[in-house]
Amino acid sequence: MSWKRWLFGRRELTLALACVAVAVFFQFLSPYFLTTDNLITILRNSVELLLVSLGITFVLATAGIDIAVGGALGICAIFVGWSVQGGWPLVVVVLIGPLVGTGLGLVSAFLIVQGKIPPIIATLGLFGVYRAAIFLLLGGSWISGLPDTLGPAVNTTIAGIPLTAIYILFFYFIGWVVIRWVPLGIAIRATGGNERAARLSGVSIGRTKFFVYGFTGLLVGCAAFLYVARYRNVETSTGGLIALDAIVASVLGGTSVLGGKANLLGAMFGVLLVRLLQNGFVLIGVPSLWEQVITGVLLIGVLILDALAERSHAQGRPRNRGNAPPWLATP
Amino acid sequence: MRRKNRWSACLSTGLMLFTAGIGLAQTKPKVAFVPQIVGIPYFNAMEEGGKDAAEKFGVQFVYTGPTDTNPAEQLRIVNGLIDQGVAAVSLSVLDASSIDPVMKKAKEKGVKIFTSDSDAPKSDREVYVAQALDQDLGYTIIDELAKRIGEQGTIGIVSGEATATNLNTWIGFMQQRVKEKYPKINLLPPQFAGGTAQRAFQLATDLMTAHPDLKGLIAVASTTCPGVAQAIESSGKIGKVVGTGYGSPNTVRAYLNSGAFGFSVLWNPRDLGYLTVWAGKQLIDGKPFAESNSVPGLDQPVKYDSATKVLLLGPPTVFTKENVDQYKF
Amino acid sequence: MVGNAMISAFKQIRFGGLLVLWLVALLIFAVFAPAFFTPANFNSVLQFSTLLALVTLGQTLVVLTGGGGIDLSVGGIVSLSGLVIASLMKAEVPVLIAALAGILSGGLLGSINGFIITRLRLLPLIVTLGTYYAYNGLALALTGGAPISGLPVSFGSLGQQSILAFPLHTLVLVAPIFLVLQFTLNQTPLGRWVYAVGSNEKAARLVGLPVAMIRLGVYSLSGVLAALAGLVADSWLLSARPNIGDNLELLSLTATLLGGTSIFGGSGGLGGSLAAVLFFTSLQVGLQMLNVNSIWQLGLVGIFLIVSVLLDRMIRTAETK
Repeated sequence: MSWKRWLFGRRELTLALACVAVAVFFQFLSPYFLTTDNLITILRNSVELLLVSLGITFVLATAGIDIAVGGALGICAIFVGWSVQGGWPLVVVVLIGPLVGTGLGLVSAFLIVQGKIPPIIATLGLFGVYRAAIFLLLGGSWISGLPDTLGPAVNTTIAGIPLTAIYILFFYFIGWVVIRWVPLGIAIRATGGNERAARLSGVSIGRTKFFVYGFTGLLVGCAAFLYVARYRNVETSTGGLIALDAIVASVLGGTSVLGGKANLLGAMFGVLLVRLLQNGFVLIGVPSLWEQVITGVLLIGVLILDALAERSHAQGRPRNRGNAPPWLATP
Repeated sequence: MRRKNRWSACLSTGLMLFTAGIGLAQTKPKVAFVPQIVGIPYFNAMEEGGKDAAEKFGVQFVYTGPTDTNPAEQLRIVNGLIDQGVAAVSLSVLDASSIDPVMKKAKEKGVKIFTSDSDAPKSDREVYVAQALDQDLGYTIIDELAKRIGEQGTIGIVSGEATATNLNTWIGFMQQRVKEKYPKINLLPPQFAGGTAQRAFQLATDLMTAHPDLKGLIAVASTTCPGVAQAIESSGKIGKVVGTGYGSPNTVRAYLNSGAFGFSVLWNPRDLGYLTVWAGKQLIDGKPFAESNSVPGLDQPVKYDSATKVLLLGPPTVFTKENVDQYKF
Repeated sequence: MVGNAMISAFKQIRFGGLLVLWLVALLIFAVFAPAFFTPANFNSVLQFSTLLALVTLGQTLVVLTGGGGIDLSVGGIVSLSGLVIASLMKAEVPVLIAALAGILSGGLLGSINGFIITRLRLLPLIVTLGTYYAYNGLALALTGGAPISGLPVSFGSLGQQSILAFPLHTLVLVAPIFLVLQFTLNQTPLGRWVYAVGSNEKAARLVGLPVAMIRLGVYSLSGVLAALAGLVADSWLLSARPNIGDNLELLSLTATLLGGTSIFGGSGGLGGSLAAVLFFTSLQVGLQMLNVNSIWQLGLVGIFLIVSVLLDRMIRTAETK
């Protein structure tokens, strides 16, 4: 087959190449870019987004969406921060983030599955509720100046490999196993691809969705733990609109918002590409204000290229661009 | 039928008593302060100071602000306060022109409108309660930093919101000072971190990577101090990079002790809030400001400049490892 | 029979659901904050609702045309067009021309959305997410965060003056635009087409409706309305801020949904959206009079949204039984 198809057919590969290209470009302009230190820093700064993007990829695969993850991240971070402040036993500190996160994720799932509310509405509403909750929980002040007890969790390196890289690989590996090899993974993609058909084939849609949102919540909780460990500060704006950044990364990575597929490696490279660009720009002195524009243009560019590629690829094949896209659909 | 009658009787009596109660409670004049955003420690401290002053001076203190640094929101809140009949309204201005639309209305209603913490100098506000002169704030931080790095080298700036007028004013004065007095210092253009520690951390780290010979990092806005300080700590550059910023003693104590921050420049936001409410009371009572005012509850006399209508809390305080423990805010 | 009666009662509650909530809120204000019912406050509520109202009208139309219609970039368009107008005015361009240029730029930005969505058959959510980043980022980057201030005072009349407690921009912009759009939507074939496209795209296509054109038009119109909001904001504050449009996208979407428009398109309307906008603003203003922190509002609105959709769902299930 044509080398073009082989190369660009696989989104992860394209993105990986893009990352390399970007790295070379920046290295050319700033000798500090390709240093181990810088790269490790970029990795460490991307952990939260990497984890959240993993979850979002799963959610998107079911043709769902979760805008509330930012608020959930904030709430989990508050609990982790409190547990550190209160000097609670390490076990509690480590587990409380994921526990709260999973709980919040299940709330979303509940509204979507039992309440039959379209995901965008449910999570939009919850986002508002979570943001208000963050304000109320923090009582208007921040949790700051936390002791560095959790530092080792994020700052150590084993044989030159940062611990954070191991976390990321661990979670992505689990995600990959689930998506590829476990029946649940097939269920996830089936739900996204064609929910009605999936249900008729016996897939338990409800359980699938509960898993997906719950898993995302778990990842959000872990991300919150790592956030607190590294930045030792929880403010009212923690988390924010990370959902949008995660969606951008996932879509860049080849996951379609319409559902049906999940490109985990792509999402990972998507995050890395965005973060490389962010880092690179500061290094070469471009005002950080231009990042958003670059992200937006990048996203649109990728979408356009995708659409054009599919067009030339599949002329005449009937497309399912019917009415409401699946993620709005309700059982 | 009868039940309805009894119900409405109860309801109306209740309403009457309630309105009477509200009427009685209205005897104390209200002084309001609208921060740039609620939920950050800096303005919380101002709120506390305001509450203390309200108790002491016999006014009712109203503290309410936007949840986002949105000038339209701030405007709406100020507008609402004027409608409510608050006697004196002060605000920490987000955008100079966001106060103009209500100025006329305030004057018509006899509501005293003034600024605190961040000013709109071209508007017709009654007074600006200043923590320290913007110029002093910008100059001091550069001067202190220059002292510590030897008047030459590269310095980075990590600011908060790109749209915050007061932050940009301070940065402007920093740049001016460097141009005039320290030609050997290379002050990098500011990077904007928004409101999160994570972004400030990221930007500070990236700046240190981009300029390995970076000598100083200035965290403009109290929100960026933790991120910048931690970045210095995590990258192991304590001692090589001098961090500083406009952070309160409580926020920066840990970093002063670790050495990440060499010093910090601030004023006491609690005192500022206190002074704001006192100023409001003075305005309501129609008492003019003297050149030097002694305010019960504040240690130092407060200066007033009638030409610019600025009530000055005092010169900026420099906090260092040595003196930080004396302060509890 | 009893079932049917109950269903129609529920229906009325749904239509009136928003109104009921509003009435409750007004009652609370009446008791605890009587200053709410002054003409000055009435004026304030209208003043502060214009930006959201204009943007929401556009958002509602977009959602109505279905196909997952949504416009996340409206906030960015408001900011950018506001900047265009302000910078032109500072360059001594006459007010009218600057305003027109701003409106055109808004339409252009909106049509970029529409073009990409219809030509490439992409999902609006993700396309407008991209333009959200692009437009908002552009506004920030081009200005470096600094506002463009010092606009001529004469320009301020649109944003600041009022006639008989009605702000000028409500009378001159919001009301006429709403009436025109409402009329078009409900009484003209074009309006019926919009609903048709939203409720069943395939059928609409089969009947020969220019689906792509309609959608393109709607996104452009959304851009124009956003630009008008930018114009009002500029006139009101006499300055253009790059972040004036922040949050408008989520708020307008919430207002649209709260007002009864279905997220799938095809049903709902502008009246409900406008009512929702007024509800929001009066809630904001009123809560602030009660000295309740505005953060509660975020949570309350989120809950309203979820509850109203739940109710909607319950009614639908009851109906189909």
